[in-house]
Amino acid sequence: MSTLDKAPASARPVPNPKRSLITRLHMGTGVVVGVIFALAAYYGLHSLYTTYTDKVADPLSSHDNNIVLLGAMLSWSVGFMVGIGAFIGPWRWLIGKDLTDEEILYLAGDGQGTKRYFKYCTDHKVVGIQYLVGVMTMLGVGGTMAMMIRTNLARPGAHFVTPVVYNSLVGLHGITMIIAMIIVATGPFGNYIMPIMIGAYDMAFPRLNALSWWVLFTAIPVLCSAWFLGGIPTGWTAYAPLSTQAGPGMNSFIATIIIFAVSTAVAGMNITTTVVAMRTKGMKWNRVPIFVIGATISVALAIPAFPTFMLAMVQTGLDRTFNTGFFDANMGGSGWLYANLFWIMGHPEVYVILIPGVAALMEIAPVFVRKPLFSYNAAILGFAGIAGLSVLVWAHHMYLAGWAPSLNGPFMVTTEMISIPTGLLFLVLIGTIWRGKPWLKLPMLSVFAFIWDFLIGGITGIYLSDVPADNYLHGSMFVTAHFHFTLMGAALTGAIGGLAYWYPKMTGRMLNERAGYISFWLVQIGFNVLFFGMFMAGAEGQPRRVIDYAAFYKNSNLVSTIGAYSVGIGMIVLLWAVIHSWNKGKVAPMNPWGAKTLEWTVPYPVPLTNFDELPIITSDPYGYGKGK
Amino acid sequence: MSADTEFRVHHDSDAAVGRRERLGVRLLIVADGSFLFGMIFSYFYLRNLNNNGGWLPKGVHHYSISSAWQVAIPFVIAAISHRLGQENKQTRNLTSIVTFVVLLVGGYLQWKQMAHMPFLLTDDGGVVSFNGAYASNWVLMAGSGLFHYFLGSFIALGILIRNRTTDLPHELDLWRQRVVQSWFTWCAIAAVLTALTLSVI
Amino acid sequence: MANHDDHAVEALPPTPGERATGFIKRNDVARTIGLFVAYTAIFIILGKYFYPKWMPTIMSKEMKSAETIMIWFTYISAPIAGIVLSVATNSFLNAHRGDTPPPDGPAIRTNGPIVVLWTVGSLLFTIVAIVWGLLEVNSQAVAAANDAKSAITVEVTGSQWLWTFNYPAQGIETHDLNLPVGVPVIFDVKSADVNHSFWPVQLGIKVDANAQVTTVIHTTPTMVGAIEVKCAELCGLYHAYMETNGAVMSKTDFNAWVTAQGGHTA
Repeated sequence: MSTLDKAPASARPVPNPKRSLITRLHMGTGVVVGVIFALAAYYGLHSLYTTYTDKVADPLSSHDNNIVLLGAMLSWSVGFMVGIGAFIGPWRWLIGKDLTDEEILYLAGDGQGTKRYFKYCTDHKVVGIQYLVGVMTMLGVGGTMAMMIRTNLARPGAHFVTPVVYNSLVGLHGITMIIAMIIVATGPFGNYIMPIMIGAYDMAFPRLNALSWWVLFTAIPVLCSAWFLGGIPTGWTAYAPLSTQAGPGMNSFIATIIIFAVSTAVAGMNITTTVVAMRTKGMKWNRVPIFVIGATISVALAIPAFPTFMLAMVQTGLDRTFNTGFFDANMGGSGWLYANLFWIMGHPEVYVILIPGVAALMEIAPVFVRKPLFSYNAAILGFAGIAGLSVLVWAHHMYLAGWAPSLNGPFMVTTEMISIPTGLLFLVLIGTIWRGKPWLKLPMLSVFAFIWDFLIGGITGIYLSDVPADNYLHGSMFVTAHFHFTLMGAALTGAIGGLAYWYPKMTGRMLNERAGYISFWLVQIGFNVLFFGMFMAGAEGQPRRVIDYAAFYKNSNLVSTIGAYSVGIGMIVLLWAVIHSWNKGKVAPMNPWGAKTLEWTVPYPVPLTNFDELPIITSDPYGYGKGK
Repeated sequence: MSADTEFRVHHDSDAAVGRRERLGVRLLIVADGSFLFGMIFSYFYLRNLNNNGGWLPKGVHHYSISSAWQVAIPFVIAAISHRLGQENKQTRNLTSIVTFVVLLVGGYLQWKQMAHMPFLLTDDGGVVSFNGAYASNWVLMAGSGLFHYFLGSFIALGILIRNRTTDLPHELDLWRQRVVQSWFTWCAIAAVLTALTLSVI
Repeated sequence: MANHDDHAVEALPPTPGERATGFIKRNDVARTIGLFVAYTAIFIILGKYFYPKWMPTIMSKEMKSAETIMIWFTYISAPIAGIVLSVATNSFLNAHRGDTPPPDGPAIRTNGPIVVLWTVGSLLFTIVAIVWGLLEVNSQAVAAANDAKSAITVEVTGSQWLWTFNYPAQGIETHDLNLPVGVPVIFDVKSADVNHSFWPVQLGIKVDANAQVTTVIHTTPTMVGAIEVKCAELCGLYHAYMETNGAVMSKTDFNAWVTAQGGHTA
């Protein structure tokens, strides 16, 4: 693949754009072709399979229906990619007519204004904005579901929703938020900011960059379709055999994960390659900004992790469609197989979520206390140690599954060892702020919030990693509170800090400060109240994912719900601030924070090729402070 | 696509582009390898668990060991054939045809096996199901093999056509051949690992 | 803040003792130490009162050990939390406001001894947690083996959305879990359909109920009282309502109950 660079205007032969297929394709054609593919698969498979499996009494739960639905959903995704022009590149490669320079430039969105946000645009800055909008949408949807869950749990008696709706809410809130959290930092900032940070003209594989976003995009309507197909009764963990017996809504979940896994593999490979192979001259490994290191370790960890989830979903799909028996005990299968495959992905995945958020805060802290990052090596060791250990701890989710009680000891050892690299992350942050005078802007506030939230999440994690304590706590609200403290308190806080920090570069305007502060305190105080209440409910013995509870638990649940509303209002304020400031905010200077990383050396709007001339790096970006 | 753009396409050196593409493909191999690892894990896990004797229920036929290798050998041949033609455009005129044809044959064999599976069970209602965990694992691995053959044939066809129509600079061409070689070698290894797994019935 | 780096210009290098006293007397250090003591105390108090207040009655050794671990892990985490939070708070109190960046702080790139000390500290902490956990797991396993002969067996079956308890030796089947106090009990747990998780809350134990496989857990109720049995694994529509009551009762009461149910006592 080739990247772009800046050159003086010159007379070049202009291809006639009217005749080129590339210029005619966009999101609209993608949707049209996708729908055509989906309908073709739907009716094609329907006629094919109803002829040789007899009609079963309940067509919605019959296997031929699962084939039809799953086939239609996956075909929609493929069709959309065809319609938006994702396969033009491979096709042209096949027939030996590679894309010309003019076509590559066109694909990069050169001179197309806002239209390029709706096209198969290879510019990493466009992809970054697409991811940002996508993530905010998902957070909005997932957050609304969370509010509905908390509203229902405000008092005992399940007044608000029915069990079917409630279980669907739990499952869809879970998977929506997990997907949103996985891409919340690496999607917008990893795509928009990171290539500039390392001094590259573009990503290593610009077309695959567009692919990763648009493939993910196709998963959104698929996931939404679950609502109209009876919902997801399994929670986001989709344990078998509950999932293999579930209604047609489960197909949406399966298709979503398969599509998402493809997107992640492509994005992870692209980001990793970019960082490894495209750093500018002089940017040795010990001069790479820590956010880049963290994001790279995170996506590199995702590359081997997510395929096992995809496999588990393929097997679930096969069980549901073609009557295989991977998870059916009557046919020699086992639900433990699912649990193993799921958690082999599932535990690295939480660190895929966590690491970029922490890394963003480590990028922020030195800028706002005007001190070097404390012990850059410890930070890398921390990330690498977490990533390395994370693939060895999956069965701590299965201590009480009865799967292999004799392995509880070893898994407890590996799990608790994670405290050591995690401790290094704390050391790096407190070492950085020690003796500094922190500039209390919104990004820096997020650093402090992270320290508190992740500390609570970490300590409660130590109880849960210990088998005798987990005997009591497993499957209770305590677990829910714990992982929200880590994933939301750490990763989302980090991402919001990152948003406040990089907002001026991504939009050219400053984020509204007053609204930012109001939102920050509403969210952080509400968040702590919310999950403190949930810790209480868990300690009292309330199981997770229940629609109703005994009157005994009513105080702790009410506390949680009050906190939840505060978080909800705070997030709405933040959303307002982001949208409002995008149009009407104060115009940002080139380097509002006085930071030393490369992204602050380029103007807004960032030119198509980022740099006129690639910069040459002579030191790491943390040269703050007196007495060097 | 206006003429007055201030940007132009920047061509990095062939070696830089080639190395980058090779790294990308290797990372995708890691992802695919993880998928394969999961399948092998599933196979041996369910085999050793033999839940309710359901690995191979009584009277269920399984595919022979030789048929497992029948679909693995073509990929090995294809990978070797591609390797032979890698360095030389003239040799490649022949080897690219061999690679493509062998991959088509392999894909056909895989398809044929999937069309005649001996372990299907049809109940009174006419619903077809896979009898036992071996059968479930077999069809998953076969499907994955078929996908590899499909992708491999696409790439091989591309090499075949491009070798005759395009005139890439030698260096870049060589790198692209190496990138494809990485993928084909991996697919051959995956095919052999799958065959080895399926040899332990 | 700025004067700390001026030591370098003094004619005589200070002795280690002087440096240590000087260090502790520094404003920010003194404040951090104060905060450290306060935070550590808060966490210790939190550990001491939070869990005993909120966790249900302790009715078995397993429940006792779960609670003890939570309390003691809070205690040993307290100093670490104290360090982190005191440094953060101290820095927070030094905040710089305004629209221009603050003046540069000292250029501390790293501090080898601190990193080593921190790592060793967290390693020790981890070892304590691991050893404690392993000993506890082991003692529970030993107890289960020792009690196997004298134990009564209860076969637990989870089905959507009902718990069924079968006492094979007594020949009864109920939906309430009643147990005699002081007698070891072994639960053989399985599921009739999807996964459930058997959780007698006050006994502090839990195990998944899987289809076609029996999982086993063990406990000895130590106290008479009511218990609740819940399902701790999402199992479909009425997961929340898959709960039942039970009781730990004296041996006489238990035998009377068994007889009333039409069973026979040993």
